[in-house]
Amino acid sequence: MGKANNTEKTVSKNALKRRKTLVAYSFILPNLIGFFVFTFVPIVCSLLLSFCEWDSGNPIKFVGLENFIYMFSRDGSFWISLKNTLYYTIVTVPVTMALSLFLAILMNKPLKGRVFFRSVLFFPYVASLVAIAVVWMALFNPDRGPINGLLMAIGISNPPRWAASTTWAMPTIIGLTVWKGMGYYMIVYLAALQGVSRDLYEAASLDGANKWQQFMNITWPCVTPTTFYILVLLMVSTFKSYDTMYITTQGGPGEATKVLAYHIYNSAFVSSKFGYASALAMILLLIIVAVTLVQFKFEKRFTSYL
Amino acid sequence: MAGSKKNTETLKMVLIYAALILMAVIMLVPFAWMISASLKLEKDVFSFPIVWIPKDPQWSNYQEIWKKVPLMTGFANTFKLTIATTVLQLVTSSFAAYAFAKLEFKGRDTIFMLYVMTISIPWQVYMVPQFKMMTMFGLTDSHLGIILMHAFTATGVFLMRQFFMGIPTELLEAARIDGLSEYGIWARLMLPLSKPAIATLCITSFTFEWNDFMGPLIYLSTSSKKTVQLMLRMFNTQYSSNYAQIMAAATVALIPVLILFAFLQRYFVEGVASSGIKG
Amino acid sequence: MKKRRLAAGFMAAAMVIGTLAGCGGGSSSGGSSSGDSTTAAPAETTTAAPVQAEVKEATGEDVTLKVALWDYSNTEYYKTMINAFQEKYPNITVEVVEFTADEYDNVVVTQLSGKQDFDVVFTKGTPALSALIKQGHIYALDDLLAADPDFDPEKYSGLVDQLSLDGHTYALPFRYDNNLIFYNKDLFDAAGVPYPEDGMTMAEYHELASKMTSGEGNDKVYGTHVHTWPSNVYQYPNRTEKFVFCDPTTYESLIPYYNEIIAMQDEGVVQDYGALKSSNIHYSGVFYNQQVAMLQIGTWYINMLCENVKDFNWGVCAMPNDDGMANENSIGGVTPVSIGAYAKHPAEAWQFISYVCGEESAKVLASCGIVPGYSSEAVGEIFDGLHDTYPNAPEGLSKYLSCEKNVMEQPMHAQNKEIDTIMQEQHSAIMTKSVSVEEGVQQLIDRVNEILE
Repeated sequence: MGKANNTEKTVSKNALKRRKTLVAYSFILPNLIGFFVFTFVPIVCSLLLSFCEWDSGNPIKFVGLENFIYMFSRDGSFWISLKNTLYYTIVTVPVTMALSLFLAILMNKPLKGRVFFRSVLFFPYVASLVAIAVVWMALFNPDRGPINGLLMAIGISNPPRWAASTTWAMPTIIGLTVWKGMGYYMIVYLAALQGVSRDLYEAASLDGANKWQQFMNITWPCVTPTTFYILVLLMVSTFKSYDTMYITTQGGPGEATKVLAYHIYNSAFVSSKFGYASALAMILLLIIVAVTLVQFKFEKRFTSYL
Repeated sequence: MAGSKKNTETLKMVLIYAALILMAVIMLVPFAWMISASLKLEKDVFSFPIVWIPKDPQWSNYQEIWKKVPLMTGFANTFKLTIATTVLQLVTSSFAAYAFAKLEFKGRDTIFMLYVMTISIPWQVYMVPQFKMMTMFGLTDSHLGIILMHAFTATGVFLMRQFFMGIPTELLEAARIDGLSEYGIWARLMLPLSKPAIATLCITSFTFEWNDFMGPLIYLSTSSKKTVQLMLRMFNTQYSSNYAQIMAAATVALIPVLILFAFLQRYFVEGVASSGIKG
Repeated sequence: MKKRRLAAGFMAAAMVIGTLAGCGGGSSSGGSSSGDSTTAAPAETTTAAPVQAEVKEATGEDVTLKVALWDYSNTEYYKTMINAFQEKYPNITVEVVEFTADEYDNVVVTQLSGKQDFDVVFTKGTPALSALIKQGHIYALDDLLAADPDFDPEKYSGLVDQLSLDGHTYALPFRYDNNLIFYNKDLFDAAGVPYPEDGMTMAEYHELASKMTSGEGNDKVYGTHVHTWPSNVYQYPNRTEKFVFCDPTTYESLIPYYNEIIAMQDEGVVQDYGALKSSNIHYSGVFYNQQVAMLQIGTWYINMLCENVKDFNWGVCAMPNDDGMANENSIGGVTPVSIGAYAKHPAEAWQFISYVCGEESAKVLASCGIVPGYSSEAVGEIFDGLHDTYPNAPEGLSKYLSCEKNVMEQPMHAQNKEIDTIMQEQHSAIMTKSVSVEEGVQQLIDRVNEILE
């Protein structure tokens, strides 16, 4: 009697559990199916394709590691684009972070017109790149642009030739990237700063700590998690980025602004070497995964992801 | 003593305002130049020193651009794509996020892990197989293809889930006792409580889709299906010597985003803030 | 605990990848197993014996032809030509699929790799055509050409042969463009400088350009204009056949020409390459607005000048060179038209192609100032008569359309497109002085050798 009752209970408990699981899956399935089909499967295919040769017309041919051997030993553009990617990232990321933190600290006060400043600083982030890039290129036109007009007016007779010179093309693009993105990160920082207790500063200033000491001992440690978060977000987005180069310099002059992501695009959609493009993409993926893992290692709060 | 402290305070505020105004100017100058150039004669666009307010504004530049490129079609297409993607993403992401944040089920963490892993994978990595797959499904050169490709992002699920995690489970328990189904809780409790996250997802999805260039460039071929960014690009390359009109077209393309942003910026700032510190 | 979860996650991912591996490869390969080496064989046979467009009578039913084209919306003669075609074949509706000129070659390849059902595919030149052939995205036309009694290869002054690869023909020449020096007669008259002539040396050309340079700032007039394409430099030695596009051993012939043009750039006789490139300045505008006295560009510009220039007279002459050549050779490119390999109406597509590359269409094109691939006495006469319709145009243009020899600037070659990409990158490096001319040319030689191996 008691035993039967027990079984009944287990059954109904199992049924309940099954029902619960069913409900849960009904929640995730609409998104999961789409995500699986349109993102996950292509990613896996790309992994396989990186070991093949394929020009999209003729059948796929398995070539083992040949793509990677070619990449490392013979493709000069790969090394150049890798170097350019590092240059782009290593400058863009700290500059964006420093500026956005600086702005956030300035804004973290009861200021008049705060909403106005916040909106203005943020707006470039939502503006269309195609529209903004053409404006930026016009402003930085080496011969006729207002920027060089201004530089010449203040006595610099030989201003940089910006996007038209191999030396200045990358800085020009970095400038555009920083200008466009920093408002977003400023707001993230601003939120973090608002979470820092005022009492800490008051106690510190009673102890006679100056502003710099307060920054180093209170502000910086308190925003460190945010800094990590921004660091990864920014690095991933700079590693991925190539549309700015596509629209402004087409990777030139020469190969001065050809980044890895651009090389992938070129290999696939210009040279129709889809297998090789996938192999390049795998290298990009490896770099991004490595960066993320290093961040995870440093960032103790990473468990909050799960 | 008190006076000098007040003086340094004032000086400090002056410096802060000066710095902020300088930054604001740097942010605004390109837009100001764009609008100013769009109202000039072609020959005056690059004249230096810059004349910010043209004496004789050439409003006709704004009329001409509509004749040269079918911008209206572009706007209609972009609107359609943007709204469909945003709505679809909002509904499916928040749906999935609810399960990931608040329901216990087998395989939850594993599946969520899959999502998180893909966040950092750039589109370039899989755009080639994705394109071929879309071809197989017959979804290239169609709006549906772009919508499906962009609607189910890991970022959307991640963002909503992070926000949902912050909503106390006790509230849900209470609602369950009151007899609300899980779907009811999602609709009547979670969604109203997560306006900032919804606004963030709305704006990020909207601006992404509105400004996306590479996706439509690769996927759309028929003129009548092209988006406003492609038209803008087409205009830039076909009429490359006509800067005044290029600037007019760029201004027109920026306006809808500006309007949306003006209305939602408060929510957006809250949304970025709340998802940012939790990430 | 967390670590285990993480590990579980990766395991699960690996498992999913594993199970997908089979179907994944299949889904993107269109049925052929990626590991199977035998599948490589049909690929080779495809290139050896290309798929021929089927010889079939057009049914006369109502069909819609999909035609891939660039700059359609702002080019009048396309519309004139297509309207004339539709009048002749009322059952055929032409639907133009337009892409931007800058992205055209890449986008069309991408679209075809997605099996787009374009019936007719225009390409901007032989590099894109070679790429399409290599990937099997267009039909070979040999059978069609042999079966069509109205087709006469003699009418294309050797251009059909030049559009063949490995003995097969894949396209007909829609346009053939010679490259010339265009000059603004009014500016030369005002400056009291004699007009440029056929057979100038580069030094004479440079000197002439220096004489024609005047003014400052917004009023500056440049002596001549060098557009941003690599061809705007290599065409000079290319015309005298010192330079051959697919042969790196000839690339050293570029050095003196690069030196001359960079010297002109340094002296402010031509607009700076970097400025042109970064602000996307089109060659057409600067000549229309009389900001340059000369311009080296293709004969398609005759059409643009006829349509757009009413306030000054212009003339043409052959390109300068250091090999003592006057107007014996022409140098230029062909605009090929082909049938897409996924065409729904190949028979009607052939009707379209033979029409637009045929005599009737040639006359329409010529009267707009466009040089058709199809050559005939009538075409020359129309060009000579352009002066009557467009008084700003010079007389005797036909002289520059029928030269003793037409040199193809980019002969058909399987690696054409890749060479083209490298050429563009090296050109921009040299022109922005990121490398010295010698270094830049040497890199060009090395890089092209690399892909030809």
